Amino acid sequence: MQPAPADAAAQDRDIVALLQSGALEPAFQLTLARYQDKVYRLCCAVLRDPSAAEDAAQESLVRIWKAIGSYDGRASLSTWIYTITRNRCLSAIERRRELASLSDEAVAAEAEAQADSYGVTDAEPQEGSALLREMVDLLPERYRRTLTLFYYEDRSVSEVASMLGMPEGTVKTNLSRARAALTEQLRRRGLADPRHWLETSP
Amino acid sequence: MSEPMHPDDFQPLDAALARALPPPALPAGFQVRLQAALTRDASDADGRAASRAHAQREQRQRLAELDADYLSLRRRTLGTLIGGAFAAGAAVAVAFPWLQASFGTNAIYVLASLGALVGLGIGTASWIGRVRLPNLLGRL
Repeated sequence: MQPAPADAAAQDRDIVALLQSGALEPAFQLTLARYQDKVYRLCCAVLRDPSAAEDAAQESLVRIWKAIGSYDGRASLSTWIYTITRNRCLSAIERRRELASLSDEAVAAEAEAQADSYGVTDAEPQEGSALLREMVDLLPERYRRTLTLFYYEDRSVSEVASMLGMPEGTVKTNLSRARAALTEQLRRRGLADPRHWLETSP
Repeated sequence: MSEPMHPDDFQPLDAALARALPPPALPAGFQVRLQAALTRDASDADGRAASRAHAQREQRQRLAELDADYLSLRRRTLGTLIGGAFAAGAAVAVAFPWLQASFGTNAIYVLASLGALVGLGIGTASWIGRVRLPNLLGRL
């Protein structure tokens, strides 16, 4: 459950006040409590692979701890944190590309297996949801990322915009296009009435 | 041609997507691994700070030694010059009467030639050392 925007802003103000008073350790603990889940979700949405996302989230949080003393308040705390996280994710993607360029089929197969493991939980996957996730994965990257984060973040457009560093209007446009593309895919797969199919999926 | 989507058409899709894309929870052990990473990073940083301090201390010591060596070299050079000048003056004072007796009025030219030869010899030796020319004189 997301905290109300006013609560979130108050928490950020508390963190900034602690930073300004030089209390770095308590400020970081509050930052962790407020942002570690979000940082991990952002990494999941960008990288798809849970273990890569965990590594990137850990690196981001260590980086945040190292740099928290130099946070100067020019950007909002959330913007600062998400920028660090996105940069870590981009580095992870770069590393993955370098690995892929050096790799052979075994590495490619492993990467595919990791991508397949994303979203799998202990519970038996629901058929409708699994199909929907598969279709989401086929969306163009910017739509997939926006749509995934939108649902991770309890349908908060402003939070997704802040996490991805893009204007809210762009987020709304991406969401609308992603949904339209998904509906079109459902139609193409012979599910002529997506509404009916979705309502009856378990 | 597909029909334009009405916003209401998205409602069932929205509900299905919310079910299909639940927010991922932090993996088990995330906190422990994060604390370990933070501790490791802190000890690395301490290690780096200690190495840096040690290197800076060593650099300061070396600079102080170099300064001291440079000063003593300058003092030795100055001492050698002054000593050499006095020794040369004493040698001239002792040798000049004998040169005058032997060479007459040409004694001053002989003395100047001797001085020039000694000067050239010292200069050549110092340049051989400076440009690392093969020390032919030393081999002789």
